[in-house]
Amino acid sequence: MFKMNSTAKQIARQRIQVLFQQAARVNKANPTLAQRYVTTARKIAMSARMRLPTSYKREICKNCNALLVPGWNCRVRVKPRRETHVVVTCLSCGGQTRFPVKAKKEKMKLDQNNYKNETPRSA
Amino acid sequence: MKITPDIICHEFIGTEGKIAQSTHAGYLGISGKIVDETKNTFMIQHEGEMKRIVKDAAVFHFTFSDGAVVEISGKLLVGKPEDRLKKTVKRLW
Repeated sequence: MFKMNSTAKQIARQRIQVLFQQAARVNKANPTLAQRYVTTARKIAMSARMRLPTSYKREICKNCNALLVPGWNCRVRVKPRRETHVVVTCLSCGGQTRFPVKAKKEKMKLDQNNYKNETPRSA
Repeated sequence: MKITPDIICHEFIGTEGKIAQSTHAGYLGISGKIVDETKNTFMIQHEGEMKRIVKDAAVFHFTFSDGAVVEISGKLLVGKPEDRLKKTVKRLW
């Protein structure tokens, strides 16, 4: 079995980065070519047994590997039912992706401060 | 950029390529940006046209983003992009 050392994984990481940059450049003119770049990047990640970074994962369609640009080839909605989550629909293949939305820590701190600044009832 | 035998595992899409020598007379003088890659061929954009070059038949000069120019024989680059990542070449010097 072929085991990858750290230099080979570094090269794989660089290659994925270069491919995503090039895909962003050619997307508007030639979306099919951008799709091919994303497919190659995913195959390299699979061959090197590494995960794609979350920021890259969120801007591709898992079904057809298209590079998604909100308002142009995908639809983004926030749904409140069950738990608050974001639904991204790819307009070329119809595939949907969902991911959860977490309340941010600063917002929770502000809420705590609001309770502290309230004037006490017994005055 | 330090040139090691790992250079055959790098990404060539997005680099400028030029054909220095070739066994096929029609390939001489083609240069441009590398656009796509398959198991046996490269796609180069030459003066607005897409040209498909067989890897086995040419010696390439690649220009990377930091200015380094590397001469590589096409025979070492044969393979699908994800299979080329695992290839090794014996160091001769």
